[in-house]
Amino acid sequence: MIRGALLFAFNSGRYDYYRMAEETAKRINHFLNLPVTIVTDEKSRTSSTGYNFDKIIITEPDKNNLRDWGVWINKGRYQAFELSPYDETILVDTDYMINSNKLLKTFDVSIDFCCHDTTSFLMYPDAPQEILSAYSFKTLWATVVTFRKTKRAKQIFECLEMVQKNYDHYANIHSFVGGVYRNDYALTLALRIANGHTVLPGDIIPWNLVHVGKKTSVYKNSDLPFNTEYTVLFDNWRRGKIRKEYAIIKDMDFHVMNKDNFMELIL
Amino acid sequence: MDTTTLILEAKARFNHNATKAYLKEKYESKLIIAEQGGLWKADNITITLLSALTNERVVLIDTFGNPVEVNRQELFDSLSNTYNSVMQEWHAEWKNLEGNR
Repeated sequence: MIRGALLFAFNSGRYDYYRMAEETAKRINHFLNLPVTIVTDEKSRTSSTGYNFDKIIITEPDKNNLRDWGVWINKGRYQAFELSPYDETILVDTDYMINSNKLLKTFDVSIDFCCHDTTSFLMYPDAPQEILSAYSFKTLWATVVTFRKTKRAKQIFECLEMVQKNYDHYANIHSFVGGVYRNDYALTLALRIANGHTVLPGDIIPWNLVHVGKKTSVYKNSDLPFNTEYTVLFDNWRRGKIRKEYAIIKDMDFHVMNKDNFMELIL
Repeated sequence: MDTTTLILEAKARFNHNATKAYLKEKYESKLIIAEQGGLWKADNITITLLSALTNERVVLIDTFGNPVEVNRQELFDSLSNTYNSVMQEWHAEWKNLEGNR
């Protein structure tokens, strides 16, 4: 069984996702000892600094997803099943900071497919879980997905394609805002459909996805290439005043929502 | 600017609760192991149950809710070792971070 990681990276006008992917790939090589394949387009590839991916797959991106800051190329994630050259794949977002070998455990968790269903925010332990809408499901997260090339995993990715292509319809049914496509929402619906409108415990990674929220800043404690220790600063609002608070973390993987902050960490 | 100076300049305070939550998040996931066809958490309940049972082979419910037949002693040894090493690490990091306050 060949194991590897897969990254999707398409540069937007504002963020250099290819560059992020290169740094994330280096950390995957270092901490997980896995080869990394990137799915990208020719234009994004021009920002390469020379890192050698195991494989580079060039595709034509779907640019039909607009956010307030410009085009967000995040569609087409369903192609991961067909495009991955590995028997067992960890599909991870480029802004996921890997600081340990913990993701290797997801190969033990999953028979076909697994992802996170619960998050926790650094410095904000009581943050509520995200739901699609007041009348719908708790969100599953596409940030980290591990899958094997099995018939059932193929069905899940085919469902993901179907939901992406009919996203506005599902947004209407589940009462969430359909203007901007989100892989997390599409995955939430696709996995449920593939499982007969339920979620199977074996499809869920049994620990939380750790987020660094947009009002939290992370700083490296060292400039060493594979630093794993960080200081996390948080503005805590109390009685109309901001109180700066901090914590020190190490050897913990986390997802950085603020892309500018992620760039500061990797450069 | 190094992070120590940053904390001083910002007059930031060490957040005790966030640190506890971070450590719990980090180390609880380390307690999870795959063994003998099931996924287990090396917690006090599972370890206590394994130590209380006497049969060589027993059926336990794993973290996914599946009944799995296991060799009791082998699973007990694995979970006990995992528990001890993870809790030692957890304790050491907690003491270290508390010293930073």
